[in-house]
Amino acid sequence: MSDNSIMVRSIPALAVMGAAGLIIAQYFIWIYAPVEATMGIMQKIFYFHLPMAWWGLICFFVVFCASLVFLISKNPFMDRLSQAAAEMGLLYSALALATGSLWARAAWNTWWTWDPRLSTTLVMWFIYAGYLALRQSIDNPQKMRAVSAVLGVVAFLNVPLVFLSARMWRSIHPAVFGSKGGGLEPEMMTTVLVCIVAWGILTSGILFYRLRQLDIKDRVKNLFIF
Amino acid sequence: MLRLDRVTHFFDQRLVFKDISLLIEPGRVTLLAGPNGAGKTTLMNIISGLIKPSAGLVEHRLSRDRMAFLGHSTFVYPGLSALDNLRFWAKVYCRRLNDDDIMQLLRLVGLKAFAYEKAGYFSRGMSQRLSLARVLMLKPDLLLLDEPGTGLDSDSRKLLRSKIKDCARAGAAVIWVSHTLEEDLDLTDRILFLENKKQAFYGTTQAFRSWRQGKDVEH
Amino acid sequence: MLNIRFLCLTVKDLKLIFSDGSGIIQPVLLGLILVFVFSLSTPIGEEVTAQAAASIFWLATSFALILVFNTLYSMEETNQARTGLLLSPMPLQHVWVSKALTGMLLLLLAQLFFFPAIIVFLGQENMAGWWTLLGVILLVDWGLVAVGSLLGAVSQGHAARDSLLSVVIFPLLIPLLLAGIRMGAHLLGGADDENLGAWGGIAFSFGAVFTGAAIVLFPFIYNEY
Repeated sequence: MSDNSIMVRSIPALAVMGAAGLIIAQYFIWIYAPVEATMGIMQKIFYFHLPMAWWGLICFFVVFCASLVFLISKNPFMDRLSQAAAEMGLLYSALALATGSLWARAAWNTWWTWDPRLSTTLVMWFIYAGYLALRQSIDNPQKMRAVSAVLGVVAFLNVPLVFLSARMWRSIHPAVFGSKGGGLEPEMMTTVLVCIVAWGILTSGILFYRLRQLDIKDRVKNLFIF
Repeated sequence: MLRLDRVTHFFDQRLVFKDISLLIEPGRVTLLAGPNGAGKTTLMNIISGLIKPSAGLVEHRLSRDRMAFLGHSTFVYPGLSALDNLRFWAKVYCRRLNDDDIMQLLRLVGLKAFAYEKAGYFSRGMSQRLSLARVLMLKPDLLLLDEPGTGLDSDSRKLLRSKIKDCARAGAAVIWVSHTLEEDLDLTDRILFLENKKQAFYGTTQAFRSWRQGKDVEH
Repeated sequence: MLNIRFLCLTVKDLKLIFSDGSGIIQPVLLGLILVFVFSLSTPIGEEVTAQAAASIFWLATSFALILVFNTLYSMEETNQARTGLLLSPMPLQHVWVSKALTGMLLLLLAQLFFFPAIIVFLGQENMAGWWTLLGVILLVDWGLVAVGSLLGAVSQGHAARDSLLSVVIFPLLIPLLLAGIRMGAHLLGGADDENLGAWGGIAFSFGAVFTGAAIVLFPFIYNEY
C-alpha cells in the first residue's frame, strides 16, 4: 500500500496549502478584483460559485473514472474513491446551487431560473444523492460495489443529455449568460483562476482525508466480522 | 474434467479458505464435508463458476451447458405449472424435448399427477423432486449438489440418492456438499474435508475412514 | 436460434405476470389514480394544457415502469431462480433484453389504459397524427425500459425496493421525460415546437446510450452472487 501512504502523508500539506490558498484568494476577491459595474458587490458570489460548480463536476467525473476502473480491476480502493468523490461532488453542487440561486436573485430578481447549467447541476445533485442513498441501503458489500459502480458510470454518461435537453427546454437564454464567459475583465479572470486552484487543493486534501477514513472503516469492519 | 489448484478465497479481507486442490474425474462422486462455516458452499460456488476465487486456478474442460446444479434453492417458479417449469429450463439449456419426454421425467420423480398444477402449491419435497427432474432432464456431465436432501422425507431422500447413483454410473462426475456424512459415505469415492480454513483431508473414502479414526484416537 | 433464445424468458415472464395478474394490475391502477388526482389540480371549467397532460402521462408511465421492473426482477428471487439463470449457458445480456422486451409490452399495455384516462379526465381531444404518436411512445418507452431493465435488478432483496428504485431511476430519466413531454405536448395539439426532430434525437440518443451501456454493464449488476 505504498501509494496509500503517500496519499496519507500528503494530507497535512494539502490542508495547509489549501488554507493558505483560500486566504490568498480572499485578497484577490475583495481587493485585487474590481467591483463590477452593474451588480456591485453581489458579483463577488461568482468567485465562490464557479469553483464550486467546477469542482463539483470534476468530482462527478472522478466518480465516473473510478467506477470504470473498479469494474475492470475490482480494486476496493476505487470503490472508496468513488464514494468520497460523490460525497464531495454532492456537497459542492449543493453549494453551487445555493450560490447560483443567490446570484439569480441579485441579477435576475428570481431565486430560480431554468438555466441549462443550473438545471443540469440540480439534476446531477439528484442523481448523485440517489447514488449515495443506494450505497447506504444495500447490505451485501460485493453487490453494493458493483451496482454503485455501474450507476456511477451511467450517471455521468447521462450528463450531456441532461445538459442538451435542459438547454432545449427553454430555447431563449438569459442574455446575461451570453456575456459572462467573454465579458470578464483580466483581473476578474485571474481572481477566478486563483479561486479555482485554491479550492482544488482543499478539495484534494479533504478527498484524501475521507479516503483514509473509509479505508480505516473498512479495515475495522473486517476485524470484527466473525 | 475439472481441476482446482491451490484455490484461496477471501471475503473482503477475511480468509475463507486457502490452498484447496481438487481433481474431478467422470463417474466419480466427490463429497465436500466439514463443519458449519468451513466454506463448503463457497467452494461449491467457485467450482460452479458463480464466484471467482481470490487466488489459485480453476481449470474447466466443460461448458456450462453440461453442468447442472441442485441445491436447497429449487429454482422453481411458483406461478408456472410443473410442466412449464421444466419446459422453460429445457429451452434455456437448448434441450429439444417434447412434452412426452417431460412427462416421462415427471413420472420418474413421482409428480406425473401434478404436471399441470402450479408449483406454488407444491410442498418442499415436491418442489425438490421437480428440481431433481430438471437436473435429470439436463443429463449433465457434472452434477453439483449442495445439501439437496435438506427438509426432505425419507422417501424423497431415497429417490434422490438412487438418482445420484444412476448419474454417476452413467459417467457423470458428482460433487456433493453434505451434512449427513455417515449416511452418504457409502455413495462416495473421494472426500474433501475442510477444517480450520484449509483442506484437512482429501482422498478416498476408505482412507478418510481411517483418517477419522486416527483423529478420534488423538483427541 | 441463439438470437431468439431470450424469447423463452419473455414468454415465461408474461405467463408468470398473467398467472396472478397483480404484476400488471398494480401499475395500471397507480397510473390511473395519478391521472385522476392530477385532474383535480385545475379549477373546474378550466382546461388542462397539452403540456401538463403530457407530463402527467409520462409521470404515470414512469411509476408504472418502476413497479413493472420491480416485479419482473423479484420474480427471479423466489427460490433463487436467478442463480439458475447465472449457472445456465445463457449469456446474461439475454436476461436484460428479455426483461426489457417484457417490460415494454407491459408498459404499452398500461399506457393503453392511461390514454383514455388522459382524454377523459384531462380533456385532451385534439390529438394529431396517431402514427406519429405511436412512434413517439415507442421511442420514449425504449429509453425507459433500457434504464428500467438495467437498474431494475438493483434493489433485489431490499425491503424498500420500490422507493429505492424510484430514487435511483427518476433523476436519470429526466432528459428522456423532457423529450417525451415536449413531443407529447406537440402531438396533443399544444404549441408548435419546431424542435420536434431534435427532441426525437434526444430520446433516440438516450435509448441508444443506455442500451449500449446496459449491454456492457448489466452482467456486472446481475452477476453479483
